Amino acid sequence: MSPFDRSEPCALQALGMLTALGRSLDEIWPRLLAGDSSQLSVREDLVPGRSLVVGAVPGDLPRVPRALARYACRNNSMTLAALEQIETAVRDAVTAAGRDRVAVVMGSSTSGVGDAEAAIRHQHRTGVLAPSFHYEQLEFGGASGFVADLLDLRGPTFTLSTACSSGARALATARSLLTLGVADAVIAGATDTLCGLTTNGFTALQVVSDEITNPLSRNRKGITLGEGSALFLVTREPGGIQLRGVGESSEAHHMSAPDPNGAGAEAAMRAALADAGLAPDAIAYVSLHGTGTALNDAMECAAIARTFPAPPPCSSAKPLVGHTLGAAGAVEAGFCWLLLHEQDAGSIALIPHAYDGDRDPELAAIPLASKGMRVPAGPVLSNAFGFGGNNCSLVLAGPPL
Amino acid sequence: MIPAIVRQWAAWSPGLEDADAWRAWARAPQPLAHEGCPDVQFLPALLRRRCSPLARIMLATAYEACPPDERARVRTVFASRHGNINESIPMLDRLAEEQPISPTKFSHTVHNAQAGLFSIAAENRRASSSVAAQENTFACGYLEALAHLQRDPGSSVLLVMADVPLAPTFAKLVEEPVAAYGLALLLATEGDGTAICFDTAPPETGGRVCEWPEAAEFLRWLLSGDAHLCLGAGSHRWLWLRHDAPESASA
Repeated sequence: MSPFDRSEPCALQALGMLTALGRSLDEIWPRLLAGDSSQLSVREDLVPGRSLVVGAVPGDLPRVPRALARYACRNNSMTLAALEQIETAVRDAVTAAGRDRVAVVMGSSTSGVGDAEAAIRHQHRTGVLAPSFHYEQLEFGGASGFVADLLDLRGPTFTLSTACSSGARALATARSLLTLGVADAVIAGATDTLCGLTTNGFTALQVVSDEITNPLSRNRKGITLGEGSALFLVTREPGGIQLRGVGESSEAHHMSAPDPNGAGAEAAMRAALADAGLAPDAIAYVSLHGTGTALNDAMECAAIARTFPAPPPCSSAKPLVGHTLGAAGAVEAGFCWLLLHEQDAGSIALIPHAYDGDRDPELAAIPLASKGMRVPAGPVLSNAFGFGGNNCSLVLAGPPL
Repeated sequence: MIPAIVRQWAAWSPGLEDADAWRAWARAPQPLAHEGCPDVQFLPALLRRRCSPLARIMLATAYEACPPDERARVRTVFASRHGNINESIPMLDRLAEEQPISPTKFSHTVHNAQAGLFSIAAENRRASSSVAAQENTFACGYLEALAHLQRDPGSSVLLVMADVPLAPTFAKLVEEPVAAYGLALLLATEGDGTAICFDTAPPETGGRVCEWPEAAEFLRWLLSGDAHLCLGAGSHRWLWLRHDAPESASA
């Protein structure tokens, strides 16, 4: 049979994750359910003359092994910490598949640019780049090359960098590689880390809020930036939590602003539903891109109201962890994975929409998840929209009841 | 083995600016030139001003390889090892001096800036991804294009691979054939064109080291009568086979 006619299951078998909410699934889960914004912190060192509320991953990260010093950067340290959480499952998969048959697909919009900034500061002081700096720390391909070299994997290894949809896209490609048969297991996910370039860049775009982001509120003032990593082990197993649908679109509109009518967001959601073979009313919950900018929230609510005749409860995780940029699509798929994984007695808990409660009446009305809300278990949809007008929506589904 | 049809191709490097020049190069290849970038008069002035040299090469080859009536309909994959890192360096210099950076420059240095520019210029609203994979960027971009064909076998996928020489700040940190070049391939699951198959291979398979980029070596193979091509470095090898070659006919 042609590889283009095949359809395969796509199990998100294991998940390792770090966000401002914690450094393990056990730490993240209760704070996620509580809608806890208290883990966000204030940083003075990122943008000159400005205090920034950010979602920083707390504490020290593991060191990249000395033999891989060419990859040593904060971004890869965070990837390493996420990988350590799924070490056993990954080792078993590599043993079963063979190291030639395990692929790595990472999303990142920063890679190690934070470490390149330090190297260039060193150059401004001394005339030479910091001697610890290697190009592999900075280049986008290094974000995936590090994982493959660390685990001695020889399957296809690459990085997708489509700004804030990168992480969702990595999962989409993982499923395609399994279906095409070029790999039997894929380590797929995304890592982005706070750095000068993105924090100053978004500040220059005047979309960063001075307060904790307040999505869908009439008082919303923009984004809270964050960092994080979510790595999945993806296989063709039929059970467990499945990546059921992928929907993608471009906007042909603007490099850094979404189409205000939400046509691109709507196209991505509709395509994800069609790919999953699901009607809109089958979706139990939507994880919003929900960045808290005036434009995103308006267009996303409008797109949801058009896509779903009766929209399910929705919420944005951005007030809890910040906008993790290139990692957001994977981190928020990770949150959806947790909701499905913790399914109990036929129902799933939802992430509460943590905002000031003062809903912008100009936005299309969509139901918002509140603290303690549970709904009958069903597939969930996660949105990730990026610069350049690059959108990717995913549908995840839990095991049948 | 994953089949695909190369419906069209277009390539660009300084001095190699049309198909005949590339056919001549393929018969007697030499290292590619470093300096220069193509005219992109087909773009509106506003977009043209926003184009880095890399974006100019990518959009010029993309437009040439894709017929006008399909530009809004194809899925796209933009592959580049270095992307817009040269454009990021002045911003990193400004950050080192605690100076503010330009919001427009910031939003045009993301790795998918070329994808965004193409989408706007060609009014393309289809799926698009942007790939980087160190020295395996061309092969992985090709594989990502196959992944798009897997998701949507009825569409054509426009794969664009390009790079320009790294700026002096980082150039000495990377060993590679230095060149300014781009290759665009219009790929599909059916239709007229050259039928080829792709597969991964173990690192013992060999592969060749060239003084020019792998994308150019792929084009040389595509224009040749050779049955197969093995590229790759480190622990990765990539295999292409001509569909009508005797080896694959008997397989």
